[in-house]
Amino acid sequence: MTFTASPTPSPLPGPTGAPRPAVHARGLTKVYGSGASAVEALVDADIDFAAGEFTAIMGPSGSGKSTLMHLLAGLDSATRGRALIGDVDITGLDDRSLTRLRRDRVGFVFQSFNLLPMFTAEQNIVLPLDLAGRELDRDWFDTLVSTLALTDRLDHRPSELSGGQQQRVAIARALIAKPDVVFADEPTGNLDSRSGAQVLSFLRRSVRELGRTVIMVTHDPSAAAYADRVVLIADGRIAGEITDPTPEAVLAGLDALRSFDEVAVR
Amino acid sequence: MIRLALAQMRRSLPRLVSAGIAILIGTAFVAATLVAGNVITRTSYDAIAASLADADLVVLAQQITADDVDTLRAADGVAAADGQLELWTEVRAGGERAYPRATVRASDPRLEAQELTAGAFPAASGEVALPEPLADRLEVGVGDTITVVRELWDEGGETSTDASEVVTVVGLTDDPSGAFAQSEGAVIADAEDATRWYAQDYGGAAPSYETAVVALSEGADVETVRAELAQALAPTVPDARVQTKQERAEDLTAQVTGDSDALTGIVLGFAAVALLVAALVVANTFQVLVAQRTRMLALLRCVGAEKGQIRRSVLVEATLLGLVSSAGGLAAGLLLAQGTLVVLGNANPDVPLPAAVPVTPAVVLVPLVVGTLVTLVAALAPARAATRVAPLEALRPADQPVGLRRAGRTRAVLSSLLVLGGVGLLALGVVVSGTEGGVMVGLPIGILGGTLSFIGVVVGAVLWIPRVVSLAGGLLASTGPSARLAAANTLRNPRRTSATSAALLIGVTLVAMMSTGAASARATLGNELASQFPVDVLVADPDISPDGPDDAEADLTPALLERLAGIDGVAATGATVTVTTAWADDAGDLGWLELRALAPDDATTLLRAPDHAAGLADDTVVVARDDAERSGVVDGDTLTLTVDGGEPVQRTAHVTDFPTGLVVTPATLAAMGVDLPANEAWLRLADDADAVVAMDDIQELLSEVPVQVMGAALERVAFEGIVDTLLAVVLGLLAAAVVIALIGVANTLSLSVIERRRESATLRAIGLTRGQLRASLAFEGSLIAGVGAVLGIVLGLAYGWTGAMTVMRALGAVSLEVPWRELVIALVVAVVAGLLASVLPARSAARTSPVEALAVE
Ligand SMILES: Nc1ncnc2c1ncn2[C@@H]1O[C@H](COP(=O)(O)OP(=O)(O)OP(=O)(O)O)[C@@H](O)[C@H]1O
Ligand SMILES: [Mg+2]
Repeated sequence: MTFTASPTPSPLPGPTGAPRPAVHARGLTKVYGSGASAVEALVDADIDFAAGEFTAIMGPSGSGKSTLMHLLAGLDSATRGRALIGDVDITGLDDRSLTRLRRDRVGFVFQSFNLLPMFTAEQNIVLPLDLAGRELDRDWFDTLVSTLALTDRLDHRPSELSGGQQQRVAIARALIAKPDVVFADEPTGNLDSRSGAQVLSFLRRSVRELGRTVIMVTHDPSAAAYADRVVLIADGRIAGEITDPTPEAVLAGLDALRSFDEVAVR
Repeated sequence: MIRLALAQMRRSLPRLVSAGIAILIGTAFVAATLVAGNVITRTSYDAIAASLADADLVVLAQQITADDVDTLRAADGVAAADGQLELWTEVRAGGERAYPRATVRASDPRLEAQELTAGAFPAASGEVALPEPLADRLEVGVGDTITVVRELWDEGGETSTDASEVVTVVGLTDDPSGAFAQSEGAVIADAEDATRWYAQDYGGAAPSYETAVVALSEGADVETVRAELAQALAPTVPDARVQTKQERAEDLTAQVTGDSDALTGIVLGFAAVALLVAALVVANTFQVLVAQRTRMLALLRCVGAEKGQIRRSVLVEATLLGLVSSAGGLAAGLLLAQGTLVVLGNANPDVPLPAAVPVTPAVVLVPLVVGTLVTLVAALAPARAATRVAPLEALRPADQPVGLRRAGRTRAVLSSLLVLGGVGLLALGVVVSGTEGGVMVGLPIGILGGTLSFIGVVVGAVLWIPRVVSLAGGLLASTGPSARLAAANTLRNPRRTSATSAALLIGVTLVAMMSTGAASARATLGNELASQFPVDVLVADPDISPDGPDDAEADLTPALLERLAGIDGVAATGATVTVTTAWADDAGDLGWLELRALAPDDATTLLRAPDHAAGLADDTVVVARDDAERSGVVDGDTLTLTVDGGEPVQRTAHVTDFPTGLVVTPATLAAMGVDLPANEAWLRLADDADAVVAMDDIQELLSEVPVQVMGAALERVAFEGIVDTLLAVVLGLLAAAVVIALIGVANTLSLSVIERRRESATLRAIGLTRGQLRASLAFEGSLIAGVGAVLGIVLGLAYGWTGAMTVMRALGAVSLEVPWRELVIALVVAVVAGLLASVLPARSAARTSPVEALAVE
């Protein structure tokens, strides 16, 4: 476990450098509103997310975690800076190309599951492929379903599933198109601790065993401890990171942020 | 609770507006209909009151003689009294003729309904004053003469001769109040002439009247004089009734407008359909509003609101909506009626229409009350649903499970009973009306059966429409993900989908039923006419026959036929020869029949039903079925035909539906020794020809030729015109119901869009393009509308055919037609409107940012 108080300035990935990160941002900035009421939600974020890595983003409420995720996922447009998924600069794309990109290369897991109530678990899982008109890879589907322990729940509608089961369906849906990266915004926020722990270990397995990249926003230090790395955000700025985190280390990091904040305020 | 209701209404304004428009259209319909009924009544009353001029009292009896009128005149307080003559007359001038009402000059100007506009009133025998429109038509003015023609019947009433006298026009009159509106005014004759004409019409009787009008002297009291007159007449006219002018006018108006009341009733029936559809739209809207507010309602319950208060808040909301939209509907209806009145008034300045719509309390109250009640009743079920929201639901997570509430068993039973019973009655109606004179019994049974079964269909809609939608959705689903989404979405809330579809189904069913009925009526009556009149136009030259004068001139020359063929709208012409022939079979003489010679080629081009001449050849004779059956002749019999002074020939019988007599080829006729020029010409009109114009041209061309013109063309035109006009009117009335239903489709879609905001955002986040989202809603709209329309068309066909069978079975074989054009239009309109209804909701859905998917409520 290492804790770096200031973010590592990452060199631009060169053509012959280390493997290209799954997602990275340079000078990414988001300002809401304008003039006196302008809010700097995110300021000059430089950050890399390596392929095959499980990253947690943490920080106090209002620090800009969700904003960062929206920008990285192409759900919202940046005020300044660049965000790239693989080698595609998503900051310059129009809605149509962004939608395509999300469909083919990005998966989402939401805090409130957001399954479509009129479809069964199976239909929900294959929906992204359906929308893209792509063939279903049966083996991959079976792997996902058995990994997420959903085999005997496939014909159920969301209303007939527990929260944890719903969230596992959502994870399967996020992974079915083999996306470059999966974004999860507080995926355990609506779950009890046991279901939450299950979901988190599935997310970790999908990284370790299925080779996916996951970026997760969370408030829960023990959730963050499932990740390979924790990125800390405060006041719209990347404030540090913890590799191989434990709950205690994360708590300590957050405390450090808080005192840092307090110092800054004073 | 009213504050709560108002606050909620503000939040849901756009939803309520579209539900309100539905109610508005329905109530506008009601208001306009009531006003129209009032205008008819008022116009009739005015005309009737005007015909009584300034009379103060009216005396009614079976028979009021001239002496009795004198008795009236002699009574105290009476200034003048006149009997009202029931007299009609034929007048001619130049080539024109007319049959106006005739009257005499009143003995007092106060009793004169018409006004002099030129010349003078007649003062001596042989003088008349004509109403201006009549004078115009006859092309005469003051000083010209016209001929008055009366038909004089002999003792037995079997033969008549025309008596004509020439009279001079001395004055022109105007009928400003429409007292004699039926004939655009009455001819005013001198009393002596009128008495003579009356005697000619009524077998020599002196004029007697059913009505006498009385004007009072200055200062006389109406009631006193009324009692006095009744007493004075008692000895001679025991059945006399003395009424005031107002009483009389009201009585007569009631008689005259009985028909228009029935008409108003029928139109109100259509308005009721429109309101029913509006009620479905309102019920749907409130159901969704309550669903949307579940959380808020639960919160209210948590902080102590009682069930009753919640229910009241919904009902107050419905009442306010109902009142506001009904008031809007009332205003729209009155404006519509006023606009129509202005247009009509400008188009027909002669008809004395009121300048402003007569607004009675009923016109105002009925639409308001009905509109509000309909809204309130429609909101009852949603209000009950609102009270069922448990306080606990405030604590549930935001995403509600979709409740596929099972539709009640009672509903299924009720619906099946209604449908089965209704269908039984429909069948009974068809059977009964097939019996002699059974239509009057069968029709009400059929209408009852149709109504019951249709109510059953609508009641059961929630049970079976989702199944049809799912079937149709399944077919669509193969076209892509948008369609699959749409199909799944329509099934999420079967109740709402059913109600929306059913609203459209009602309108479309009625439209399809009326179109089908009209098409079948047209075809059936057309066949009926074709069987009576084999050809469109038949021109006969009766002078040409074997026993006619030898020097008779043949008028139907080839040149004339060519000129006839040249007329616009005449598709084909052909000449035939008709003679009277004796006919016999093996068993002996069968009597005399008309025999026509016709080339088989001509038969196919000229006959309305070419199979009437099926089997016509040189060795056959076509026999009309009626004649064959009467004489026991069947297909294949050998018949012997003999014309007076000709050769007998033998031919094989072919029985067809030809209306009357026998048909052979010209070769056969020649073999029979007949050598005559053509004495009949047959004309076939083009299918798209304007038969009225063509007939006029034909008549004009033949006006100088001594021939008779007959045929089915004019009858066909006349009744097809009636059927088409009625259909157009009915479809126009039903359009309101369809428009309301389409508003309902748009409303349902936009409600769904709001409900599914988060879902749409999720779909956008995981890769649904804006176009796909819009397409999905377009599919959904056209699926709901299309299913409603298709089912409506199927039902309408069934009802239309049943109705046609019930009404027209007495006429013989009913042809059941499919009005393809109307049905396709109905379907296309419904589907396109469903698409259009999705445009606005789809725009707002497409604007949803995918970020909203991540938002936590
Ligand atoms: N649409 C918006 N318009 C204006 N300001 C916004 C908007 N969205 C976010 N903000 C502001 O941007 C800042 C960062 O918000 P963000 O949602 O990214 O925080 P967060 O770290 O996700 O907080 P939380 O942990 O509470 O979810 C906040 O100050 C917030 O008020
Ligand atoms: Mg957040």
